[in-house]
Amino acid sequence: MTTIDPKESIDLPSGVTLHPSQDEAIDRLLSDLLQRCPARFLLLAEASGQLLSVLGKRSTNDLVALSSLIAGDLAASQEIARLTEQAQNYHLILREAPETNTFIAEAGVHLVLFVQVNKEVPLGWARMLIHETSCQLAEILSAQPEDVGKLDLGLSEEKINSLVGDGLDSILKG
Amino acid sequence: MHINWHLRELNLKIVYYGPALSGKTTNLEQIYARVDASHRSDLVSLKTHEDRTLFFDFLQLELGRINNLTPKIHLYTVPGQSYYEASRRLVLRGADGVVFVADSSPEKANANIVAWRDMETHLASFDLAIDQIPVVLQCNKQDIYGALPPAQIRQFLHVVQVPSLPAIANAGEGVFDTLKMITSSVITQLQRQTTVVQGEA
Repeated sequence: MTTIDPKESIDLPSGVTLHPSQDEAIDRLLSDLLQRCPARFLLLAEASGQLLSVLGKRSTNDLVALSSLIAGDLAASQEIARLTEQAQNYHLILREAPETNTFIAEAGVHLVLFVQVNKEVPLGWARMLIHETSCQLAEILSAQPEDVGKLDLGLSEEKINSLVGDGLDSILKG
Repeated sequence: MHINWHLRELNLKIVYYGPALSGKTTNLEQIYARVDASHRSDLVSLKTHEDRTLFFDFLQLELGRINNLTPKIHLYTVPGQSYYEASRRLVLRGADGVVFVADSSPEKANANIVAWRDMETHLASFDLAIDQIPVVLQCNKQDIYGALPPAQIRQFLHVVQVPSLPAIANAGEGVFDTLKMITSSVITQLQRQTTVVQGEA
């Protein structure tokens, strides 16, 4: 493996890496929230819109698109708060509809939690459980094993170019 | 970037940035039209009544495995119109790589410069300098009369080191070459960082 001079390295923005044990802990937390609330539907996404987990009754099959919109919704709301000097550590959006209430909550800096509950679920109860879960999700994510974020494909730059090129060519129609 | 080691997925966010009407959405529309439906999501577009991008366009692609990891590429565009500056900053957040779609018309030179500076400012607000994130310059609309060549566009943007390539996005030319270039740059960079970490250990 070639060692690159650190000076040549570019620092990519830090993202999220999930160890299998973290993935399992997140699933347990979300299952618990689904039952205790009770919620109709839960979705967890990374703050840039990448889908991590879903539970409950889906009202759409396009979860990838939904994740990007949820992250965009929270990001826009956070920016509105910042511009109007209402920024705070924990940000939650509540959207009320005739049959359901929808919450979009920040779970630490990296995650977005989307929760849909029936109208019968008291708002305060749902809000408290969502806040509690959001804090626990952020804690799970902050406890990263040291080697989790490392991506070692063991490939040369030329090989990566070739594999990415072939990979993209292979998904073209006909 | 998001890696799920349980599912062995590598999720990357690539943002198409550039001045208004330079062809950012056209790039995504061409990719959407040419990629097999089983390997892409629907194209999400948040548009105004005038069919201009309001917040972002979004498309996810799934490639075959690379060394046992499945890359999923999330493509976003920013709204190009000047008054959507705050939205552009939001879409840029968390990007692993940027495609700057320049309009090659000579009369759009200034708009390209303004958009490039705008991008630099937004990246700086996330503590990122332009040389800390992979960027590819796509010089679009090379088919119009008097189109500036990529070398000249690089020169007036003062980005001689940034890789560039010509494109005619509405005809699909250069669209996939751009995507290949930025995706490879991002993955190479991720691996390079790992190598540095291991070298230091």
